[in-house]
Amino acid sequence: MDATRLEISRLYHRFGFGPRPGEYAQAIKDGVDLTRTKLLTVPAVDAGMATVVEPAITDLGKRPAPNTKEIVPFSIALRFQTQQMVVWWLDRMAAADHGLTERMTWFWHGHWATSVDKLNYALPMYKQNKTLRTHCLGNFNAMTKAMINDGALQFWLDGQDNTVKAPNENLGRELMELFVLGVDRYSEDDVKAISRTLTGYQVVRSNGEVSINQARRDKNPVTLLGTSAVFTGDTVADFLIARDDNAKFIAERLWYRFMSSTEDMPATFSAKNAFANREISAAVNAMASDSAMRDEKYAMVKSPVEWFISACRALELTPSQLKTPNQMINFLQKLGQVPFSPPNVGGWPAGEAWLSSATAQYRITFASWLIKQSELRVLNAMTPPQRVTQSANWLGVPEWSARTKNALRDAQKDPAQFALLALCSPEYIVSA
Amino acid sequence: MDTVTRRKFLKLTSGAVAVGAAAPLLSIDQIAQAAIDRPLPANTPILVVITLYGGNDGLNTVVPYTDPIYYSSRPDISYTADQVLPLDAELALNPAMKGLKGLWDQKKVAIVRGVGYPNPDHSHFSSMAKWQTASPAKHINTGWLGRWVDSQSEDPMLAISLGSVLPPMLAGAKRSGSPLPIGGLEIRKATLANQCAQLSKPSKNDSKLMAAAATSMRNLFSVSGNVQPVLKAPAPVDPDLPTTNGGNAGGDSNLAQQLDVVSKLIAAGSPTKVWSVSLGGFDTHANEANAQAELLGVVSDSVTRFMGQLKATTRSNDVTIMIYSEFGRRVVGNGSQGTDHGTSGPMFLIGNKVKGGFYGEQPSLKNLYKNDLAVTTDFRDVYASVIEKVLKTPVDPTLGKWSGRVNCLG
Repeated sequence: MDATRLEISRLYHRFGFGPRPGEYAQAIKDGVDLTRTKLLTVPAVDAGMATVVEPAITDLGKRPAPNTKEIVPFSIALRFQTQQMVVWWLDRMAAADHGLTERMTWFWHGHWATSVDKLNYALPMYKQNKTLRTHCLGNFNAMTKAMINDGALQFWLDGQDNTVKAPNENLGRELMELFVLGVDRYSEDDVKAISRTLTGYQVVRSNGEVSINQARRDKNPVTLLGTSAVFTGDTVADFLIARDDNAKFIAERLWYRFMSSTEDMPATFSAKNAFANREISAAVNAMASDSAMRDEKYAMVKSPVEWFISACRALELTPSQLKTPNQMINFLQKLGQVPFSPPNVGGWPAGEAWLSSATAQYRITFASWLIKQSELRVLNAMTPPQRVTQSANWLGVPEWSARTKNALRDAQKDPAQFALLALCSPEYIVSA
Repeated sequence: MDTVTRRKFLKLTSGAVAVGAAAPLLSIDQIAQAAIDRPLPANTPILVVITLYGGNDGLNTVVPYTDPIYYSSRPDISYTADQVLPLDAELALNPAMKGLKGLWDQKKVAIVRGVGYPNPDHSHFSSMAKWQTASPAKHINTGWLGRWVDSQSEDPMLAISLGSVLPPMLAGAKRSGSPLPIGGLEIRKATLANQCAQLSKPSKNDSKLMAAAATSMRNLFSVSGNVQPVLKAPAPVDPDLPTTNGGNAGGDSNLAQQLDVVSKLIAAGSPTKVWSVSLGGFDTHANEANAQAELLGVVSDSVTRFMGQLKATTRSNDVTIMIYSEFGRRVVGNGSQGTDHGTSGPMFLIGNKVKGGFYGEQPSLKNLYKNDLAVTTDFRDVYASVIEKVLKTPVDPTLGKWSGRVNCLG
């Protein structure tokens, strides 16, 4: 496989949501270094993203009592706001001229995986999304402090129920296991200790406002990972993040989501050392230049949202304009991935989990539905034989296999059928 | 409530528990064809494993309803004596488990108490990995039933997991069990099917993942000409129940659907000795009572219905069901009407050949170990008994030298 094509394809599909028509061919001309710099340098203004209108997400207040006349409009508003929020984010992903910010926000959403299905209210999730975006390429310490004070995360992990009288370990355990250190890098006593330091948080469920009730706080010293002290949410974040295990863990998670979910992280993976000051952008830059980017071994399956957004960009479709957005969400649901609804606190699966016969079937149906709504401008501008030779550039695929080329050649006179086969091909489902 | 599903577990363990050997996705037709060509010989024992993901609260499943410490430990979420379904003078089933109580009364249910492993791990993912690999001390990348599959002659139908993802339990070093997506797969129109068949041919340049992508599509379209209507047929009907319009009485949950498919395929003669099904959602840190009761009701109803369906087949005496979860929960409620991650819990073995009753010692609520229930039975004792008595195979290739047994299987 051509090394330049491979690396540039990975830059587009893993550090963004895939190229727009023309971008990949241009990048091949520009070369890897220039392309990498361009894709990693976030511009001050993103004209594409600026076209996406913010949704009107409001505080809907307390749930009215059952069987009152207020409950119906309330329930409709709850559902409507969540749908608007999902569509808004998908639009941002599809409309971004520069993909890295949304791609990183998406990564962190899967990392601090919180679901609207427990919150019910969109507003706390919307606020969390903004917090993740603010910090997505910033400092991990600042991000962690912001997340400990995030109403959606607190509520999701029962933080508002964690009090000096009745400690609840849900947030404390996941903070160490899934967010900051990684499993087995602490003891059960440490879980009990950290949970005590995180007591007293209270959340207004409808808007995600967080306050600390001093009477519910456990202000006694605890022994956490060998250090005895009185901690607060902020100081416990400082303490955990200063540990070497934090750099190791974040490097492992970046590896798992950007480089390979099936192959082990090599000891030489440069993101770990680059994360020394807990600067996320430094780790991401190191990762994008790492020699693993050129190693054919490290293929990644596109998750359903990643596949869908890259298809929208190639087909020049806007998620909110699809008929109908509800149907779009249903398709994503069937494929197993709707933004703001991860299955659990561990986030979404990766790799072969997305490659079952059932998902193959839904992907074909979804792709046909999308293609019907696209003008297929790019394919229509090509002659049938050109479609076979130039479609890899259109989609940012390093190369078609002989097998796929044969299938595409059979469909070259029918742009819709051609697009369907290309979008459902192994080479497009998997980032080589 | 975060629902700990098999998917979550697989995702988080996929770095840790690699699927040892490639797992071919099966289509219903392949199984149906195998059932016709080479049905499972009569009287061959069959194991059905039900995994409860999320950590099922054992104390509210098998309730120590006469122990004052139970009530003082979890005043918000305890069941009163008049709510529960007593099994003896000390223990009772959760009120939602009426069906299972009926099977208990017929002496078809063995409850093994206090099951776990040494040095309990409170992480869902680590603990489930220990249960599924049956190697609590050291991480290994094969599952206990995967190693059993390795020890048998090659047959992709030998062990089947319902759902599109294979649990690590069925991953062997040489071979693995096979995942079977439920819900049936739609067969597409001819032109598209031909093109997709072409698109999904193996290619020598395919990376492992691209090959897997191609396989998934190939399986979707590789349906033989004579589709066997096994799954389109109604599920076997429990002869003891009146048939109503909608078929057998019973709730419609995913577990019920999975067991429906299993019962149809067992009835059809699928050459399968091990089935794996699952239910998620047991991670009840808050507002536990309703959530857990609902799930236990699903387990109880689905299992009862499944046992009833088997009566309509020739294989009702051959099937043994085993139910487990990765850990029990803390004795003391956490103040959020829920419980945090704990240690040991009860296991259930159900079937006509099971010697009904209690096994293993009930962990004391008074003498806790680090605030948690003691482990009184190692889960490998149960596995070893199942391998010997249900699967009728030697224990060593699967568990190594392991002498513990639980004498609950005929």
